[in-house]
Amino acid sequence: MNEEPSVALPYRDTKPQGAADFYLAINATFRFILNRLGQDGLQRYWSDLGCRYYAPVSQRWQTGGTEGIAQYWRAFFDAEPGSDVKVVQSDREVRLEVKVCPAIAHLRRQNREIVTCFCEHCYFVSEAMAAPAGFTVRVQGGNGSCTQRFLPTDAITPPQNLEDITRASLS
Amino acid sequence: MIGCYDFCGHYEWTFAWFEAEGGHELVRDYWVEGISRDSQQHARELILSQGFAGMRAYWGHTLDHEAAGYAIHANEEVFRIDMHECPSKGFLIHNGLVQYRDYCDHCMGWIGPMMQDAGFVVDHEHNHCGQCWWEIRREESTAGPSEAGQLAGTTDVRLRPGWQTPSSPHDLYRRATDPDDKCPPLPPSS
Repeated sequence: MNEEPSVALPYRDTKPQGAADFYLAINATFRFILNRLGQDGLQRYWSDLGCRYYAPVSQRWQTGGTEGIAQYWRAFFDAEPGSDVKVVQSDREVRLEVKVCPAIAHLRRQNREIVTCFCEHCYFVSEAMAAPAGFTVRVQGGNGSCTQRFLPTDAITPPQNLEDITRASLS
Repeated sequence: MIGCYDFCGHYEWTFAWFEAEGGHELVRDYWVEGISRDSQQHARELILSQGFAGMRAYWGHTLDHEAAGYAIHANEEVFRIDMHECPSKGFLIHNGLVQYRDYCDHCMGWIGPMMQDAGFVVDHEHNHCGQCWWEIRREESTAGPSEAGQLAGTTDVRLRPGWQTPSSPHDLYRRATDPDDKCPPLPPSS
């Protein structure tokens, strides 16, 4: 883990890693939106977050391509406590091999009820970040470990099937 | 993935998203239902069952984890926090993130209802620059807020150079548990 947060991250803190208890708030936020605004509202929240809050990341991906995407995710997971993620970059694709999702792992340690569609946020947020940069995302797996592929939008690949994203649970 | 490293950034962004979706009431409801009763249920359990001892257990742990510059003073009548370098507001200032009109309201938004349920009231002041103080007393107490330095000595944030800045008006609460129960604005020099 780097001592200094990477410049690949658009928003930087003075400490090298975040506080894992914030995963409790992320999960609770999803639950609140789901209860109040339904699944459509939650998906809209994720997409808006990707488009707006993470717009600086999209801009870097637009200019940096797969190199920029890979740099971002390496720095991102360095700053997430408890993550075990391999970032594999090729000319046309970046693949995240998530062996230990830090959020799911912490929610389980804290025995918190996990929103069952929790892992879908990785698709909706990342897709909204990637699209303006000319990339698309496919997520396979979830509930603690998954594979996320960032591909050019002209790649011949079926659309994301949400049934390929595993429902999250305490076990 | 949404991460915890920049949590305060997307948390603050989310307040503005809620306000656009459902107005001020939806933001308030989020602080109570989403944060106070769900995310922070561990704080609620500690403080409702142990009172002041629960506050010390919760804030000692949490603020250490967030690497905050803060001081805690407590006796059998009052629990006081002096926040000198709020890590949360500091992150927003450092990164120039301002989507919601008053980020600092979220603390009273989730702590206030928890204290009400636990039978406490709150005197509180924040300067929107990452400094604030809290005095929490049982609701039956008739004591008002302490004078500067009286409880916290030299760690009282009100004695800090720069506590008063003309460009940043303070928000002040007296015996409050609601984020909207702010006292009328103080003149900058007071």
